[in-house]
Amino acid sequence: MARKSTVLLLTPGLLLTGAVFLSPFVFLGLTSFWTQRPNSLLIDPAFTLVNYVRIATDSFFLGTLFRTILLGIVTVAICLLLGLPIARWIARRAVRTRGILVVLMVTPMVSGALVQTLGLVNLLSLLGVINGLLKQLGLIDWSIRFLGNEGGVLIGLVQAFLPLMVLPLITTLAKLPEDLEAAARSLGAPAWRVWVTIILPLAMPGILAGSILVFFASVTSFVTPQILGQGKVQTFGTVMYQQSALVNDWPFASALAMAMMLVLGVLLLAVRAVRRGLERRPVIGSAS
Amino acid sequence: MKYGLNGIASLGLCAVMAATSLTPVLAQDFTGQTLVVGVWGGDIERLLRENVIGPLEAETGAKVELLLGGTGDRVAKIYAEKDNPTMDIAFLNIFEAPQALADGVVVAPDPELQIFKDIWPDMNNGCYAMSLAALGIVYNKDAFATPPEWAALWAPELKGKIALPAFPGSEANGILAIAGRLAGADEHDADASFAKLAELKPIPLTYSNLDELLSLVDIGEVAAAPVISGYAIAGMKNYENIGFAFPTDPGPVLTRDMLCLVANSPSPELALLFAEKALGVVNQTAYANELYFGPTNSNVKLDPEISAMLIDSPEEVSTLTQLDWPFLIENRSAWTDRWNAEILVD
Amino acid sequence: MNLRRAGTDTIWIAWMAIGYIVVLLPIVVVVFASFSDSNTFRFPPTGYSLKWYQAAFASSEYRNALGVSLLVGLLATAVSLTAGTLAAYALSRSEFRGKSSIETLLLAPLALPHIVWAIGLLQIYAWLGIGGTLLGLVLAHAALTLPFAVRIMLSTFIQLDRTLQEAASTLGASPPRVIWHIVLPLIWPGVLTSALLTFLTSFNEVTVSVLIAGSRYLTYPVRLYSELRSQGIDPTTVAISAMLLALIVVFALIGERFLNWSRRV
Repeated sequence: MARKSTVLLLTPGLLLTGAVFLSPFVFLGLTSFWTQRPNSLLIDPAFTLVNYVRIATDSFFLGTLFRTILLGIVTVAICLLLGLPIARWIARRAVRTRGILVVLMVTPMVSGALVQTLGLVNLLSLLGVINGLLKQLGLIDWSIRFLGNEGGVLIGLVQAFLPLMVLPLITTLAKLPEDLEAAARSLGAPAWRVWVTIILPLAMPGILAGSILVFFASVTSFVTPQILGQGKVQTFGTVMYQQSALVNDWPFASALAMAMMLVLGVLLLAVRAVRRGLERRPVIGSAS
Repeated sequence: MKYGLNGIASLGLCAVMAATSLTPVLAQDFTGQTLVVGVWGGDIERLLRENVIGPLEAETGAKVELLLGGTGDRVAKIYAEKDNPTMDIAFLNIFEAPQALADGVVVAPDPELQIFKDIWPDMNNGCYAMSLAALGIVYNKDAFATPPEWAALWAPELKGKIALPAFPGSEANGILAIAGRLAGADEHDADASFAKLAELKPIPLTYSNLDELLSLVDIGEVAAAPVISGYAIAGMKNYENIGFAFPTDPGPVLTRDMLCLVANSPSPELALLFAEKALGVVNQTAYANELYFGPTNSNVKLDPEISAMLIDSPEEVSTLTQLDWPFLIENRSAWTDRWNAEILVD
Repeated sequence: MNLRRAGTDTIWIAWMAIGYIVVLLPIVVVVFASFSDSNTFRFPPTGYSLKWYQAAFASSEYRNALGVSLLVGLLATAVSLTAGTLAAYALSRSEFRGKSSIETLLLAPLALPHIVWAIGLLQIYAWLGIGGTLLGLVLAHAALTLPFAVRIMLSTFIQLDRTLQEAASTLGASPPRVIWHIVLPLIWPGVLTSALLTFLTSFNEVTVSVLIAGSRYLTYPVRLYSELRSQGIDPTTVAISAMLLALIVVFALIGERFLNWSRRV
């Protein structure tokens, strides 16, 4: 039916995404096949594959890509472990506290990366709250190094992106039919079994949605690894920043961005295939 | 009424200018025009507002706007906007200025201008030399009884307690070159430089701002770090346990802030007026007294006490280590990869 | 049985507490640090004072920057919300080929690396001659925040009871009247929620604004970031951040109380 009005309604949004958001990527896609002139920051627009060859043949960039993805996967795993119980409680148990629990979860997300990172630095740095407390208690003489390594960055990523996991989980978990669990429980199924056979499979759409959000946010993030990693933890975000803002090699930075997007695109397609598979599967029959 | 006030104001300013005979330029009317200056935020911003922007706006009726950010952001911006710039003046580092001139994104300094002649000879490379500083050592006074030489940073007992700056940049390229010289080579020998610098590993911190570094040096978590004079000397006052050394063997690495006039900028005349004031005696004296950045203007006279703490003459400059910046820039990309792999990874 | 249940509840709550501590502690520390009396934060603090709050109210530079952030945030929210609501309405109301691709497309800004995008955008803006302008910054923020607007409005429209509209139409109400009298009253909590989220995202945006913002429209986070990269954090900004945090929490609680926020995001 109203095809024309649909198109009309979609136009502003598509124009904004297409013209403002996507057109720079088309431009960057072009740039990634160019190089800088020797001894100059100016670009020589002649087609070449050198940037991609450099990424594919340098173990540093491949290693960084691998490490970034690994960091993303671990972040997703931790967020799931912490987020599932929170989401479940908010969806099922919390009645009067529900609102405040959600607000407390969302506040950090909307207060900006800079403030959060600043707080984490004050908390974890050599002169921060945790080291200060430990020293006062006489437990340590020299500060423990929480920052400048993968652990510190991981804490920052979980802190920043846990809400992205919790929110879609709440929506999904709230929709689960209660009688199914009750039936399983009355048949004597222990709690872990109810989780494994009923809750987790049914919550899969929410788990996938949350995982994708967290994963994408963490692998493309830059402020968190830059500041918490203290320049020592290299991720694709920090390397892109280094190449674009410090080395000023924009063609190479563009190629890095394109490589990252390629990897993300492939991952997204894989997840989509998994989701299709889930949808096709008979919902509960296969549980046992 | 308003006109009258303006008239009185500009008369007064003309009188002031005639009295101090700073420049022969008559105060022109630039009312309604805007000058955009790209510069670092913080104390430099404050001094420029006090000594340059305030007077300039009063004299010309123009409005000066500051674009705050790091040098990398500015370089990105003037190159991206090459044909259609929004910035009139950009403050750059010593090594970016000649590059920017060669690429045609900034205007070459004009040797006929008085302000060019006022600056010590051979300093206006690419752009106008704004201030002098040098890469020295900030150190914890418990770790070192006397101001240390470069070689002292390699003492075995300090392993793991020497912080480094981020690469690339004048600080990081500077300490890499020093490492090369200590290894008996110089900055042209990348292998020797990287191998020597890697002996400092593990690096406890890649510092991104001075407060972070100084508070750690103060309590001894970091024993020492290569830092550019100026800010560091000014910031030391807040801490009890910090010293700053200008080593002699080799001498500290010369760095310089450069004031660049952006090519094809919207307001070139106004930009020149800004440059004259920024490079002038008043502003450079304030830079020296408050931030310990050495003046490039040969007419600046400083208290001996201040003068001792900064680089302010060609004689002093000749004792500094000067680097082959074009060579370093050429290798910047490749060396960034090496730095990531050989210095940062424990 | 009850005892056992209480036991599992305790473990459950303890486990949840870990998540909340990780998420909230850094923010608590920022508020705490804003009352420290020294130039740089260290723990335990040497003393407490309100001087950074006084400095915050005295600084015209920060006031200007906050004003710019407010202006940009409001304009970007208006653009993004309008485009997002229209698109979400269309997506919720009709089925057509390529619908899921369009949905993915509209969510793209969530996933693609922003720093690199900003460099491409900078060059396109320079070419169009809108570099450093308010328009450029607002468009960039609107594009970035569009996914939030689309997402929340889409779920709002999907939850909307369609029978009401159909009933109104059958009774002869024209489409504008249906929208004005039926749809708008039902969706305005969703509109407010996405407006708030969109606004806050724009208000705090730093990665892109560092490159895109012009001198006249330098936002507060850009100012903060430029300090973080040179001399260090000005404690005044910590006090400002603490006040902004308090404001956000107050707004969120009001939103929760009156708009049932937690059921919309």
